[in-house]
Amino acid sequence: MLRTSVTKLAATAATGAVLMAAAACGGSSSTSSEASTSAAATTAAAAPKAKVGLAYDIGGRGDQSFNDAAAAGLDKAKTDLGVDAKELEATAGETDAQKEERLRLLAQGGYNPVVAIGFAYSAAVGKVAKEFPDVKFAIVDDAVAGPNISNLLFAEEQGSFLVGAAAALKSAKGNVGFVGGVDVPLIHKFQAGFEAGAKAVKPDIKIQTKYLTQPPDFGGFNDPAKGKTAAQGMIDAGADVVYAAAGGSGGGVFEAAKAAGAKAIGVDSDQAKTADPGVQGVIMTSMLKKVDVAVYDFIKKFVDNAVVAGPTIYDLKAGGVDYATTGGQVDDIKSKLDEYKQKIISGEITVPSK
Amino acid sequence: MDHPRAPWSTVDITVCHQALRKEEAAIGTATVTQPAVELEGITKRFPGVVANRDITMSVAKGHIHAIVGENGAGKSTLMKILYGMQRPDEGDIRIDGKPVSFHTPSDAIAAGIGMVHQHFMLADNLTVLENVILGSEPTKGGVAIDFGSARAKIKEISDAYGLGVEPDTLVEDLGVGARQRVEILKVLYRGARILILDEPTAVLVPQEVDELFDNLRGLVREGLTILFISHKLDEVLKVADAITVIRRGTTVASVEPKSVTARQLAELMVGSELPSPETRESTVTEVVAIAVSGLTVLSADGRKLIDDVSFEIHKGEVLGIAGVEGNGQAELVEAIMGMRPSTGTVRVGLERRAESEEEGTSASEDRDHAGRPASATMSMHDISAWPTLRRREHGIGYIPEDRHRHGLLLEAPLWENRILGHQTQKPNVKGIWIDRKGARADTQRIVFTYDVRTPGIEVAADALSGGNQQKLIVGREMSGDPAVLIASHPTRGVDVGAQAAIWDHLRDARAKGLAVLLISADLDELIGLSDSLKVILRGRIVADVDPANVTPEQLGSAMTGAGEAQ
Amino acid sequence: MNTFLNRLMGRVKLGGLLAVAAPILAIVFAMLITSVVLIAAGKPALDTFGWLIDNGSQPRSIVNIVNLGTTYYLAAVAVAIGFRMNLFNIGVDGQYRLAALISAAVGGAAVLPGVLNIVLVVVVAVAVGGLWAAIAGFLKVRRGVSEVISTIMLNAIATAFGSWLLIEHFGTVNGNAIATTPIPDNAHVPAAAIVPGTQLGINTFVIVAIVVGIAYAVVLSRTRFGFNLRATGRSEPAAVASGVSVKKMVLITMILSGGAAGLIGMPELLGSSFTYNTNFPAGLGFTGIAVALLGRNNAVGMAIGALLFSFLDTSSDILQLHDISPEIVKIMQGAIVLSVIIAYELAHRYRLVAEQRRVSRELLEGAAA
Repeated sequence: MLRTSVTKLAATAATGAVLMAAAACGGSSSTSSEASTSAAATTAAAAPKAKVGLAYDIGGRGDQSFNDAAAAGLDKAKTDLGVDAKELEATAGETDAQKEERLRLLAQGGYNPVVAIGFAYSAAVGKVAKEFPDVKFAIVDDAVAGPNISNLLFAEEQGSFLVGAAAALKSAKGNVGFVGGVDVPLIHKFQAGFEAGAKAVKPDIKIQTKYLTQPPDFGGFNDPAKGKTAAQGMIDAGADVVYAAAGGSGGGVFEAAKAAGAKAIGVDSDQAKTADPGVQGVIMTSMLKKVDVAVYDFIKKFVDNAVVAGPTIYDLKAGGVDYATTGGQVDDIKSKLDEYKQKIISGEITVPSK
Repeated sequence: MDHPRAPWSTVDITVCHQALRKEEAAIGTATVTQPAVELEGITKRFPGVVANRDITMSVAKGHIHAIVGENGAGKSTLMKILYGMQRPDEGDIRIDGKPVSFHTPSDAIAAGIGMVHQHFMLADNLTVLENVILGSEPTKGGVAIDFGSARAKIKEISDAYGLGVEPDTLVEDLGVGARQRVEILKVLYRGARILILDEPTAVLVPQEVDELFDNLRGLVREGLTILFISHKLDEVLKVADAITVIRRGTTVASVEPKSVTARQLAELMVGSELPSPETRESTVTEVVAIAVSGLTVLSADGRKLIDDVSFEIHKGEVLGIAGVEGNGQAELVEAIMGMRPSTGTVRVGLERRAESEEEGTSASEDRDHAGRPASATMSMHDISAWPTLRRREHGIGYIPEDRHRHGLLLEAPLWENRILGHQTQKPNVKGIWIDRKGARADTQRIVFTYDVRTPGIEVAADALSGGNQQKLIVGREMSGDPAVLIASHPTRGVDVGAQAAIWDHLRDARAKGLAVLLISADLDELIGLSDSLKVILRGRIVADVDPANVTPEQLGSAMTGAGEAQ
Repeated sequence: MNTFLNRLMGRVKLGGLLAVAAPILAIVFAMLITSVVLIAAGKPALDTFGWLIDNGSQPRSIVNIVNLGTTYYLAAVAVAIGFRMNLFNIGVDGQYRLAALISAAVGGAAVLPGVLNIVLVVVVAVAVGGLWAAIAGFLKVRRGVSEVISTIMLNAIATAFGSWLLIEHFGTVNGNAIATTPIPDNAHVPAAAIVPGTQLGINTFVIVAIVVGIAYAVVLSRTRFGFNLRATGRSEPAAVASGVSVKKMVLITMILSGGAAGLIGMPELLGSSFTYNTNFPAGLGFTGIAVALLGRNNAVGMAIGALLFSFLDTSSDILQLHDISPEIVKIMQGAIVLSVIIAYELAHRYRLVAEQRRVSRELLEGAAA
């Protein structure tokens, strides 16, 4: 899914972030695509089915991680559903008031639905949704409640369980590593699932854990150098498979794994496809968190007039999380992994989330 | 007023610089060839100040030529001009007979001039070799540094001049004397034939000074020329082949060391065109205002900068401290003001200024001691442990030696400078608040009384000339009737009229009971104002002198340690 | 002597018209730079400024600008206190974050009712900020450690320490957020909906910011303590000779700077978020440095600077709506700070030369007389 939207990505990059973001996602400052026109200027053929307002977390489109996954879902919705969209991104160190103002601008500007990416928008969505009862809001990764709020939640621990199991099965030394981007509850879910999966395969497996930064320093999600150092340390201490649940810092983890001849596991998107081509080979699998699917689904439901408020859990059963098979490195253990998958779906295995 | 004759000057030396120009050639002792350096009519003005005025001198090739003068006489400006760091407003420089014009130090270096600064400019963590070639690295094939040839060249220079420098030693392992030799070698390495040494002995101990002088003699034997800047007269007489004296920005004499004594040089340096500061009727009382005993100050490396200094100053007495600069005067003052750690005791009289009831931090202690008067020293406050502020509050005024560093906030308006040092005293403050009105009014008073030339009291202090800054400081420190005044060079850089006014103010205050510790390089001022005089040499009081019966000559030789004035 | 740094830090006075003309010229110059960037990017420069002004004059935006500006102003004052005496408190960032966290926890515990709880929260924040800054002050006084180095280190330590406190002690996990117990409703600082045309209210903590600004100006220019502080900043040797205990001043100034830093998080904590969580705004200490430079540590100048910065920051979204990258805001902010520094420097040189001419003219007349 991501693959298909990569080409789009380059084109739409010209939309919101002409000066900087264009350089960040490949340097294409090409002429504007159909998406680059303003909200009012729609295709001549027909009025759009919806004007979607999307508010990114810090980093915005082009962060090669979480925000990009949301952007991919939006791009698909634009192509498949013919919706129009406006994307705004957050700046570092902003207050809740600034986030509220962003959502308010979108809602007031006639954008409906409004999608907020990331739990940082929790308080802002809760507040602004009340002010605009007729606008449908969605928020990713947060459970803030409201009659017009849809919560797009993920069972990251379930996907992480599967890659944890894969890590244990592939580790010759019985020693694996977990690199978390920032020490926050969200990433704790990844860690819990990974550990449970690894131990399910090999109860006495050694698991090394390291978080790159402490909140409010969210730099750990975008600091490849830190990721590299942490992964090198783990590999030096005997690990031969490292799981990078660290957003943009994962690139450093992959480099370290490549240099030491170890294996790495990607996160969020299928990083054996999206990571730097030089290191794609060391990524044996990735924990897929299909934010793009969730965003697309939500917009589709809106177009179909089928939006329901409250949480939608994207778990293994719903196909919201999964493991990737690109590169064929886990083909030999695929049957075992699918077995665990079925057990989780059937409820035979309950994966802890903390 | 331009070239007054020193009233006590009995020796026949060239004083007048008009005469100097004509006689210049005749003064050299060695066979006279083309002069290495000739300066003629060099004048340099800074805003409000003339730093150099009509400087004329000639330095013979192969000579060690000393330039002596007080601090602030204009020596360093002259050297900066010669080294291309500043450009003269008027005048000509000739090197080996050829007129030159330097825009940057590189021009001067290209002309064969090298400067050894007083403060070494060496990187501790590099070797001698690396330090020497830093900035002019010889390269092999345009890329790699050619350490081999550099090492050979350094050895060659070191051997030729007997410098004894080892190229591969780390600079941090070297002593002060050796570092200085590295600095000299660095300059020679760049091809200098004329070396400027700025106060080279300031950082050396006596044996090192002797070694340096041997080295310098070695250098001139090989045909180099050395310009040696100093105010240590005994050293100058020991090493120089010719001496030029600078006073107040201009060359006042050029003399041969053989035909001049240290005291004559001192007279030339200080000059005598000042109105007499004579104060003869004694106002000295029996009451001790300040007593210093056993005061000792150590440097960071444990040397004694002040060694067991003791004295008393009575109310109405001016005690002068005579000495060649750099013999511990600054440290003595700072120790008395509590700005520098010291051992020994400093005591002051109980009686404070008239307004002593105002906000005294030491009020309770006053009463304790006042309750039981005993012997002269028993009934005094031991202020040795007091911080500077409390000493000032107790009525010790302070005219610092370096007014820019210690006396003023250059960027602050005059009225704020009035407050400086008197932040807890009327009329500057009311409780915790600054009394802007009071401070401004009192600044107006000082500006009027002390004739500070300024457009107003809101201008920043750095817009004033040095003399006017000094008048402001003196006026400030005399405000509020201090009991004791520590005055370092109170009239330095002040024009003649203002100098007389400052002396009058000091005399009046003395008559009212002020005790003054006077430090000055101006022997006239010292002899004329002081009721008693002490001579300081290398941090020790070496002589007591009666100012009524001493001549500047006797005082000058006592200052240089010749010991005639006992 | 009269160093560039002293001028940068506003320790040198600029007289009369120049003090106003310099920043206006600087802003015009910054707009020119920004226009060049916009045109190079193929965006309409004039329209962009039009959008900015249009958005900035909306009632809702005015409220947001004032509220954000309040925070920026407090940050600038905290930085400026140190700047005025040559202390570079880079640690304002860590100081306010730690202060906000601990005071949020105290406020959430609701040991005191209503307004008293607000007072307690503020007092705790000031105390924590002051104490944290005191570490750097103490290290400088006792060990001669540069406050630049120690405060940068203390920022990192504050981050780690704060995270540990939040995760292990004060925080509760709620979904993906981890936050302190919210401060109860009766201890919220009210928002005053006084701007017509919007229901958004001005955070009444702005009153505290104004009081802090007035106190800053008065203490510095009218008190003995302020005089000593400025004297030390202008010339340490002269301050020592005048009897100022520089060590004591360093310690007190660091504590005051840190105490003021403790207030930075208060408008957000008491007026908006009511809790400290992992999304609490970070980096305001560095914004404070820029605003303090912009306002030359002058109480009014910093207020204008803070409003200007918050105006630009709140414009980020409106620019994006017009397909202009939000980074243009950062370019403008950088260009303004740079142009202001250059403009002040030029104005200063002009003034100095003029004054010296005036003084030496009078001197010459005096000498001739």
